Amino acid sequence: MKRSWIPSLITLGVVLFLFAPLVVLVANSFNASRFGGEWEGFTLNWYEKLWAAGEVWESLWITLKIAVSASLAAMVLGTLAAYALHRFRSWLQNVHHTLITLPLVMPDILMGISLLALFVLTGIETGLLTIWIAHVTFCLSFVTMVVLGRLQDFDFTLIDAARDLGATRAMAVKKVLLPLLLPGVLAGGLLAFTLSIDDYVITFFVSGPGTTTLPLRVASMMRTSRSLPMINALSTLLIASTFVLAVLSSRLQRRA
Amino acid sequence: MDDFLVIDHVTKTFGAQRAVDDVSLAVSPGEAFSLLGPSGCGKTTLLRMIAGFERPDRGRILVAGQDITELPPEQRPVNTVFQNYALFPHLNVWENVAFGLRMGRRPREEIRSGVDRMLELVRLAEHARKRPAQLSGGQRQRVAIARALVNRPQVLLLDEPLAALDLKLRQHMLMELNTIHEQVGTTFIYVTHDQGEAMSLSNRIAVMNAGKVEQIDSPEHLYETPRSSFVATFIGDANFFTGKAVEMQHEGYVRVMIEGLGSPLVLSNGVVSSNQMLRLMVRPEKISLTLKRPLSGERVNAFPGVVEDSSYFGSHTRYRIRAGEHLITAQLQRSRFSGGEISPAHGTSVWMSFHPDEGRIVRLEDAA
Amino acid sequence: MISGSRGSKQWLLTLPSLAWLGVFFVIPSILVVLTAFRPADLHGGVGAGWTMATIHELRDPAYLPILWRTVWLSGVTTLVCLVLAVPMTFQMARVGPRMRQWLLLLVIIPFLSNFLIRIFAWKSLLHPEGPLTRLLVWLHFISEDAMLLNNVGAVLLVLIYTQLPFAILPLYAAAEKFDFALLDAARDLGAGPWRSFSKVFVPGVRRGLVSAAVMVFVCSVGQYVIPQMVGGASDEMLGNKIAQRVFSDRNLPHASALAGGLMLAVLVPMLVVSIWQRFGRKEAS
Repeated sequence: MKRSWIPSLITLGVVLFLFAPLVVLVANSFNASRFGGEWEGFTLNWYEKLWAAGEVWESLWITLKIAVSASLAAMVLGTLAAYALHRFRSWLQNVHHTLITLPLVMPDILMGISLLALFVLTGIETGLLTIWIAHVTFCLSFVTMVVLGRLQDFDFTLIDAARDLGATRAMAVKKVLLPLLLPGVLAGGLLAFTLSIDDYVITFFVSGPGTTTLPLRVASMMRTSRSLPMINALSTLLIASTFVLAVLSSRLQRRA
Repeated sequence: MDDFLVIDHVTKTFGAQRAVDDVSLAVSPGEAFSLLGPSGCGKTTLLRMIAGFERPDRGRILVAGQDITELPPEQRPVNTVFQNYALFPHLNVWENVAFGLRMGRRPREEIRSGVDRMLELVRLAEHARKRPAQLSGGQRQRVAIARALVNRPQVLLLDEPLAALDLKLRQHMLMELNTIHEQVGTTFIYVTHDQGEAMSLSNRIAVMNAGKVEQIDSPEHLYETPRSSFVATFIGDANFFTGKAVEMQHEGYVRVMIEGLGSPLVLSNGVVSSNQMLRLMVRPEKISLTLKRPLSGERVNAFPGVVEDSSYFGSHTRYRIRAGEHLITAQLQRSRFSGGEISPAHGTSVWMSFHPDEGRIVRLEDAA
Repeated sequence: MISGSRGSKQWLLTLPSLAWLGVFFVIPSILVVLTAFRPADLHGGVGAGWTMATIHELRDPAYLPILWRTVWLSGVTTLVCLVLAVPMTFQMARVGPRMRQWLLLLVIIPFLSNFLIRIFAWKSLLHPEGPLTRLLVWLHFISEDAMLLNNVGAVLLVLIYTQLPFAILPLYAAAEKFDFALLDAARDLGAGPWRSFSKVFVPGVRRGLVSAAVMVFVCSVGQYVIPQMVGGASDEMLGNKIAQRVFSDRNLPHASALAGGLMLAVLVPMLVVSIWQRFGRKEAS
């Protein structure tokens, strides 16, 4: 049967549309021209400047601390949640499921302002802790969804088989369920990590003095035209690491 | 024959439905036994109770005199070959087979020799390092069998062992399973919905229907002397006639009056009294077709009919023959026509006949 | 399975996430709504007592065009994203598994790239000195002094750019499960390519279509960074007002009242969809 060429054309167009700005960004990071209007020769100048910008690396360190600790917490909470959602059918799980999915469709600004309201009203000083709490909250739902998808593919007769072969309930979970679930949990954690590094809006609401994460730093750099080319260089590095993480994550999800 | 696996008045309900309804049976050591029935008849629930995944509401399950009803699955001397094999995808073949021994904390040397010997038995030694996903269906099945047998279970349960295989492989594995059973001598319990599988795999078969056991017998007995019309139709094809016993004869025969057909003489099985309503069963291949009325006198039951249609199956041909309100199926092997006597076509008038020993009286209560 | 303590085990497994979301999601959301009825204090905090004053302030007619702009920008974004995503996921689902993995990766990478960076990329692309402006001027599509940046068109473009993956991913999940033999069947029964696409494929991925639409609309409706960065002074959305009330005016109750309105704008379409889906499911069974 002859296939229409229209969907292929649209697909090509969408991919170009998605990548064109990123490609321009990467190209500009090596462009000697300050505004990147035209090519004025290859340079690593912006990377050198970025390397010397201590505050950027300080922000990166803060961001990484938050991202690692928040995604670890979200992995634990999300895996337990996914297991409960998959294992039980009850009113409790209906409530649970609604609660898990609502943050996924809640605009960032609402989550930001409501957490801010909580911290203001309870008198909790905004800072690293409040950012961490906010990040765990929005990562939790994503991890749960990824692990839940994994559980739905899991063949529970494998647990029966393990017990039939002499494994206790705890042993069956340790030797069969966990090893098979691990790629899903890691993929969920990786997604949480990426989202945490990326978050600007929610962090902006609940951040305090001395907690300028990388996105907050980028936002403030965008206000001064002097540092614009440095953003190109920083963006290129971030896109490259996103690429690595995405490939890693899709490898993990495919392994089974 | 001492009883080895005993199911003693076991009942299991799910909600309002009685999945297994007061079932009792006993299996001898080393026997190959099948639980046969349509889906939903309770055979799988019974298997899961023997394995320990379900607990009976009432009744006991004993293996070698030990009551295992309350034991969790991991403590039972029973292992299972699961329907889709349930091989651990993250472990290779060797580790899959070693799993049970590792759980039993056996010495390293014993694990190695045990697994190697078992892989030899199922002829998979050269695939020991492969993952289950890299194996064919038949190989996966052999891994599942090895993984269960390496633990030296007293009873091996096999849940629809051939259902996931294609026809050709199924016939091969059928012979393989029989060979393995002969070699290890363990009690095998098969669960299957396929009567052909059950007949060729087992010494005895329990036919189950709606949570109850209809009949436990050897394959030959089930086929030749089914006790109910359910068993008669589930194992093979059958023609049924409802009639009344009109004349008891010597040597255990009875003449049955069938409305619109005639009064054939059949074996009474000693269960019939005069004027009793009963149901008569005749297998299609026991009926002969001839153009003229057979001569052999009163020892043969013969009725006239008209061929309605025929289907050719290679090894045999099936005919549907109309006799009044009755539509009777007869199955003839080609060789029977080699004499060139008839090859009845649509609309041909023929005589159907069967020997009195080939008619069976079955229980009347359940209409098939 | 044998387990007498099923109930307590369920609670044990459910409690951590349930408690976390209860404290850091449910309670804050309720607090926001309550804060709308509290007076503001001068230091950006919340004063004592209760008041309806903030709610009355919301009747300010200046909010109406902003609300309308928020809704139509989100609506058009949703529509354009779906129109692009449906044929794209159709294509993704029918190519080979290798190509499919690559396409998926190509969608996910911009999706996971930093949000600010993506906006920044458009900002430099649309900049008067930027490559796109120069190209269009060179092609004589626009005049020298035309501004691609700081207008509502730029806001819409970047909205579509950032939300497109939210449409593609759920639609792809649905398209992947679609049985493409149904299209062969439709063609066999005399439907042309367009009719088999619109009458068989699109209804077949209806569920993915609905969740894609909800996802894109909800995420667009709460935007404030995009209008702030690529829009002009008159292209603000509701989110900008909320951010302004929090960070410039330091009036949390007023911001909360606006956020409460936004919450309604999010929850109402979701409620409609979930009722429609439940109704639809009953109809199907």
